[in-house]
Amino acid sequence: MKTALTGMILLSLMLGTVGQAETLQLEGSTTVGPIADAFAEYFKSVYPSLDITVKKTGSGDGAAALVDDRCDIANMSRFMKDSEFKKAVTNGIYPVAHVVAMDGVCVVVHPSNPVKALTKDQIRGIYTGKIKNWNQVGGPSMPIVPISRDTSSGTYETFEKLVMSKQAMASGVEYVNSNPQAHARVKTTRGAVGYVGLGFVDASVRALKVDGILPSRQTIASGTYPVARPLFMFTNGYPKLGTMVHKFCTFHLTEKGQELVEAKGFVPLTNY
Amino acid sequence: MNEDTNLTLTLEPAADTHRPLVLTPGQDLSGFLAAHLGRAALFFITCSSVLAVLLILFFVIYRSVAFLTSYNIAEFLAGKAWYPTAESPDFGALAIIVGSLYVSVAALVFAVPVGILAAIFLSDVVSWKVRNVIKPIVEILAAIPSVAYGFFAVLVLAPWMQRTFGFTTGTNALNAALILAVMALPTIISVAEDSISALGRELREASYSLGATRMETTLRVVIPAAHSGIIAAVVLGMMRAIGETMVVWMASGNATQIPQPWWDLSLSIRTMTATIAGEMGEAPEGSTHRSALFAVGVLLLVMTFGLNIVSEYFLTRAKKALGKS
Amino acid sequence: MNLRARGLFDRIFTVTTGLSVGLLTLVLLAVLGPMVYRGSGAVLFKGTVEFRKMQRDLFRRADEKALEAEIARTDEFRQTVCDMIYEFKKGIDIQGMSAEVRKIHRELGKELRYNEVPAERYTELRGLSRDIRDQLEGAFNSQEIEAIRETVAGVLAHRDNPGFKGTIAERYFEIASSFLQAAEQIDLSRHHDYAVALAETEQILFHSDERPGLLGPRPGESPPLLVMLRYGATRWDQAQALLDQFHRYVVWEEVESGEPLVRREKPRRELFAGTSLEPLFPYVEENIGAMLRPKFTVYWQFFIDDNVNSHYFGGVGPEILGTMLITVLGMLFVIPLGVISAAYLVECASENWVMRIIRMCINTLAGVPSIVFGLFGLAFFVLFLFPLLGFESKPCILAASMTLALLTLPVMIRASEEAIRTVPQSYKEGSLALGASKFRTFVTVTFPAALPGILTGVILSLSRIAGETAPILFTGAVSLGPTPKSIFDPTRTLSYGSYDMAVGDRLAMMVPHNQYGMVVTLIALILALNAVAIVFRSRVFKKLKGQ
Repeated sequence: MKTALTGMILLSLMLGTVGQAETLQLEGSTTVGPIADAFAEYFKSVYPSLDITVKKTGSGDGAAALVDDRCDIANMSRFMKDSEFKKAVTNGIYPVAHVVAMDGVCVVVHPSNPVKALTKDQIRGIYTGKIKNWNQVGGPSMPIVPISRDTSSGTYETFEKLVMSKQAMASGVEYVNSNPQAHARVKTTRGAVGYVGLGFVDASVRALKVDGILPSRQTIASGTYPVARPLFMFTNGYPKLGTMVHKFCTFHLTEKGQELVEAKGFVPLTNY
Repeated sequence: MNEDTNLTLTLEPAADTHRPLVLTPGQDLSGFLAAHLGRAALFFITCSSVLAVLLILFFVIYRSVAFLTSYNIAEFLAGKAWYPTAESPDFGALAIIVGSLYVSVAALVFAVPVGILAAIFLSDVVSWKVRNVIKPIVEILAAIPSVAYGFFAVLVLAPWMQRTFGFTTGTNALNAALILAVMALPTIISVAEDSISALGRELREASYSLGATRMETTLRVVIPAAHSGIIAAVVLGMMRAIGETMVVWMASGNATQIPQPWWDLSLSIRTMTATIAGEMGEAPEGSTHRSALFAVGVLLLVMTFGLNIVSEYFLTRAKKALGKS
Repeated sequence: MNLRARGLFDRIFTVTTGLSVGLLTLVLLAVLGPMVYRGSGAVLFKGTVEFRKMQRDLFRRADEKALEAEIARTDEFRQTVCDMIYEFKKGIDIQGMSAEVRKIHRELGKELRYNEVPAERYTELRGLSRDIRDQLEGAFNSQEIEAIRETVAGVLAHRDNPGFKGTIAERYFEIASSFLQAAEQIDLSRHHDYAVALAETEQILFHSDERPGLLGPRPGESPPLLVMLRYGATRWDQAQALLDQFHRYVVWEEVESGEPLVRREKPRRELFAGTSLEPLFPYVEENIGAMLRPKFTVYWQFFIDDNVNSHYFGGVGPEILGTMLITVLGMLFVIPLGVISAAYLVECASENWVMRIIRMCINTLAGVPSIVFGLFGLAFFVLFLFPLLGFESKPCILAASMTLALLTLPVMIRASEEAIRTVPQSYKEGSLALGASKFRTFVTVTFPAALPGILTGVILSLSRIAGETAPILFTGAVSLGPTPKSIFDPTRTLSYGSYDMAVGDRLAMMVPHNQYGMVVTLIALILALNAVAIVFRSRVFKKLKGQ
């Protein structure tokens, strides 16, 4: 018992690293996180001595970490705000944005809902509480259950900017914390309408046409789908050529990088 | 002390026969210094918790000052509109405050009867041996991490609620209240049981000797005598419920609304802890939004502090009552 | 009230109290039951040959010879499936064939230039090739079998042109004749439908861009980049679900206008009725067992393995290690701090206002929400204290365990205080009477006597430290990272990992058994640590009583 305890204590107190390894720190958005994870796993298989850590606490935290020089790359699903830029410059950090993928914010409903298309005005009306029943937009007589992402997520911000036109959401709108939760809510609730990233549209929810355009890889990549947004990785200045950071930030331009981006359900920037 | 105790630290035996009965000034002084320095050292280590609380208070208040000085406090406390990321942000936290209280009170409504009855069961109804078999159940309930409860709430309880009761949403106030009740129960049971057991046998024996049944004794003698301890238990349970983060974040639906009508538990609500946890990650550093979240944190601390004072008051009353009898 | 009524009420009351404890037990079972059931699926399940392949490739544990024999047998069946699909595809893969004839045209041009064919001949042959290519593309897109026959006959007439001999243009004629052969067999008006249905079927059988399929990549295909797409269904329950999708497709039909659509399931076979692909479905149904060879597997290495592809494969080994490191380090901080504070409060303190303040502070600390601890930990330990002490200012195990120690300090102090207080005065008085100093009395008499109660505090703190998520979010936990090499590295933990998987990307939704497995592992770890401490406590208690 005692030896086990001492052993554990010694193990915990082991100071010093075993062999110097290059490290790469990424912090930030939970949306971009999976892409960073996939890239990181690939990089680890190619460069085994590389230590990559990924933290997913939110775009704001990622920006804060970059501004304080606590990480190498900040994953963000929105562009940096003015205040963050200013703080960065005062700290001597010059953020450079790399767009790694495009994401579409798709409006989804339960598959039993016969409504197939909505206009932006109608969606706005639903979320501001003016439209309360599906029969007001051509569907059956069912109360609408609007589901939104929480106000701190990048997906919410995109939706707010591009669809809500800065109008406030009704107080009865339900907030969920993540894409899987939004997907689960819409999947199990007949009258629900919500918005999720493109990768979460599968057979158990149906994506609606927004202003006549159905979200798909082609429409998002070409910009015709109205509710699309770029996903960023920010670095301090343009990374020096040949460093790991540079390789990581330009990986999405290679064929393998695009394949990984697609496999995670996002839209690659180019057609490789 | 026999050979097979390996618990004693290897110090010399207590009766140190080498110490003379008359001390030299040097020994006397060093003994004095050692004793008092030792006490001082212990005092400072104990003050570490005071230091920690003060630091936390300072840190939270410091971060929230930017918001509190620039925004109308009355609107913060009484406004219903919480739109922190809008062009002209609104920080009305009334719905969130009401949400926290609503869920905690609902949790207590579920937990207090069950908890007190269970405490009575453990202290008055069963024998010591059976009690030692049942106590582990309560301890296991206390040991389950909050993440596991959150998991259960979202993946098992919410769909079941939606299917069985036909609610529009399974993540609502009822869901959060039920899980918080389960989490507060071990606290309530152990503190209530301690105070009921501490009453001693005389009180109960006197009541039984007068011909009362167990129920009458419990309801009319034991509980009133232990009422301070029970109230303290309830207040501690409420503190646990208000301060819980992960479960309410996952299970309460996070809608910034005050339930209409007030008894409709099937609506989603949002609590203060969930607001802080959910929005802190995305709020830009140094922005009004982050300050506002810290202000919500200050509110939380003020509330728990107040509850603390109340529970302290009742606990000291309980101790005094016991001291008298 | 008469005696009987009172007795009845009394009995009802006793039963009610018993029922409340019964309710507690039920609640415990209801919470743990479903999770343990689904979590056990991470370790006990029916694994297919794909699972064994994955174990061999990624973790290097396999019975080589037996596995090779198995793979050889299953590959026969897969080859049949692939051949069936390939045959069918030839008739309808319009895009593929169009792309190929365009490529042939381009390559022909290059070849002719390489062979230095004279200019006139070059133009003539190129023009002919362009005509053939356009005619074939028209035929591919046509839906009239007569028109196709004519076109192909026309194309084949050029087969004997000497200019095309030995060049890539001979491929034109191969494609044309095989196309005609396939086209004779299918209903051309349903080209597009067939193509769509075939694409879906292939995605279920092999893999899509984002999800793995039933059988894994086609033989001869280059392995996809994402590891999880390189294998088919590794678990039999996964395979069953995919089989379900394979045999039936879901369509939402309008039954009454203005009403919600109704879900209908139709056999996928119908989509290929009358074609050469129809026998695929009964073939797969009969032989799926032979193709995947499911066998009951006990994957105990779940607790040791690292995870692959964001927890799609593999286990939770590093997370367990992280949790244990944080727990042990946190206990190292909180036990001395708590016991010493409790000792001071009981032994040396007098009831004045200083003590009241200290007690209030301890109670306030107990009420601070865990998320505030996390923020405080980041701001104080990571950003302020570490640079002060000369350490690197980044989140790490040390910061996380210090934050968690602060979180559980009140619990430890309270439990230790209770324990020390209940030590009978006679013990202390006896020791003091023998001439021991107060310090020695405490260390040799009071502390061992209070040890069972202190261990209760240890048990409670242990559970909280191992299970809390919010404080370590900002101070030491990462969602992806290497195994920590020292306490100055951040780490993955079971608690943060469970939270991450519950709200994370859709990969987690595909592997519910891993989600539940991680939560259940956390619960099991906490309960195991509790059990060890409880056993230790009862041994100490017995020794004390024995004395």
